[in-house]
Amino acid sequence: MNTLTDINSSQIIELIKNNDERVLKSLYQSNFHKVEAFVLKNSGTKEHAKDVYQEAFITVWNNVKTNKFTPQNNHSLNGYLYTISKNKWMDHLRSKHYKKTVVASKLNHFEISNKETQESHDDILKENRLQGVMQAFKDLGLPCKDLLTKFYFEKKSMNTIAEELQLDAASTRNKKYRCMQKLRELALKKR
Amino acid sequence: MNPNYNITQEELEYIERYINNNMTPDELAGFEEKLNNNPDFKNQVEDIKTLLLGIETQALTEKIETFHNELPDTKSPMEQPSKVRHLDFRKWVAAAAVIIAVGSFWFFNGNSNSKLYSKYYAPDPGLPTTMSTQDNFVFYDAMVNYKRQDYQLAINKWQPLLTNKPENDTLNYFMGSAYLAKGETTTAISYLEKVTELKESAFKNDAFYYLGLAYLKNNKIELAKETLKQSNMADSKTILSELED
Repeated sequence: MNTLTDINSSQIIELIKNNDERVLKSLYQSNFHKVEAFVLKNSGTKEHAKDVYQEAFITVWNNVKTNKFTPQNNHSLNGYLYTISKNKWMDHLRSKHYKKTVVASKLNHFEISNKETQESHDDILKENRLQGVMQAFKDLGLPCKDLLTKFYFEKKSMNTIAEELQLDAASTRNKKYRCMQKLRELALKKR
Repeated sequence: MNPNYNITQEELEYIERYINNNMTPDELAGFEEKLNNNPDFKNQVEDIKTLLLGIETQALTEKIETFHNELPDTKSPMEQPSKVRHLDFRKWVAAAAVIIAVGSFWFFNGNSNSKLYSKYYAPDPGLPTTMSTQDNFVFYDAMVNYKRQDYQLAINKWQPLLTNKPENDTLNYFMGSAYLAKGETTTAISYLEKVTELKESAFKNDAFYYLGLAYLKNNKIELAKETLKQSNMADSKTILSELED
């Protein structure tokens, strides 16, 4: 896949942060089969492979976006995606195993889980909020969803979007604001 | 998210400018001061951040679903010889897609064909064995084995008879039947073909029918159709109509 090999790492980071469709697609498609092979070899199904890979892909995207991971080259990006997928699948296997075997020692279990919740309470709260927004955006009416996708995902400029919608910039801005209000309301209702 | 506050368009754009690093140094200084001194404002900024991340993440989630559906049908890249990578990848993908399409057509077709086969195939019940025909003792002795579904034993007994009478329709027909019942379809076909090529035989009609079924099992659909057409058994017509649709 040429898209990823011809450009240098800082360009890739920039393109990923801008959600460049060609780069994301190429990254997604050139690594899936490797992950699929791994999951299939380790008692998973094709569906498992897809789920775990998509989850890992979002994680990688998020970590590049927030500078938690800075790839040195394409290889390290591909390797990172593969490693995260692999770890997620191993975690999944372990958790299943855990559920099956540790039922007897409930006392210990309570102590541990108590400590764990305290530590990650904020993270869980944040994650719940994010899930709420995602669900709300999924359910948002199509015109708003379209507009907000253009603006926040495709990162098109206000002027470009205004042109596409055949509106002036001021009404587009106002429309975007009202869509954001709608999304916030929906997200609040979810919780 | 706190339902108790309302945000104006200006406030929203102000916070977005901060999140997207679009502030002048002066504006940024003022913003950060407010952020540090006003916990409510800080929460509001966090909420907008979550909102923007949620939009992007959900949009990406839906996007990668389309990437997945457009995934080229290649085998795992580890199985490709390394030279293949230097070829034009898209051409290779297109070729692979064709191969897989044809392959899966064949595969699924094959599945339904063998289903059809097992739906209609029942071994020929064999000939009645009487004690009177002494001269054909070996033949009828083997027929008893055949009827007991001991097909290999029957074949072993019939085989020497066939070397003496290679054109015998009865022998060829039951050799074919026995091999077919054993699941050795290709061997069965060679015997049954012989029967159908004979000018006259009481077994011709049945031979065409079982030969058609054997072709069907071997996924030779066109041959199966041709052969079944030449048998006037009721089941031949039923299978033919199932093959047509």
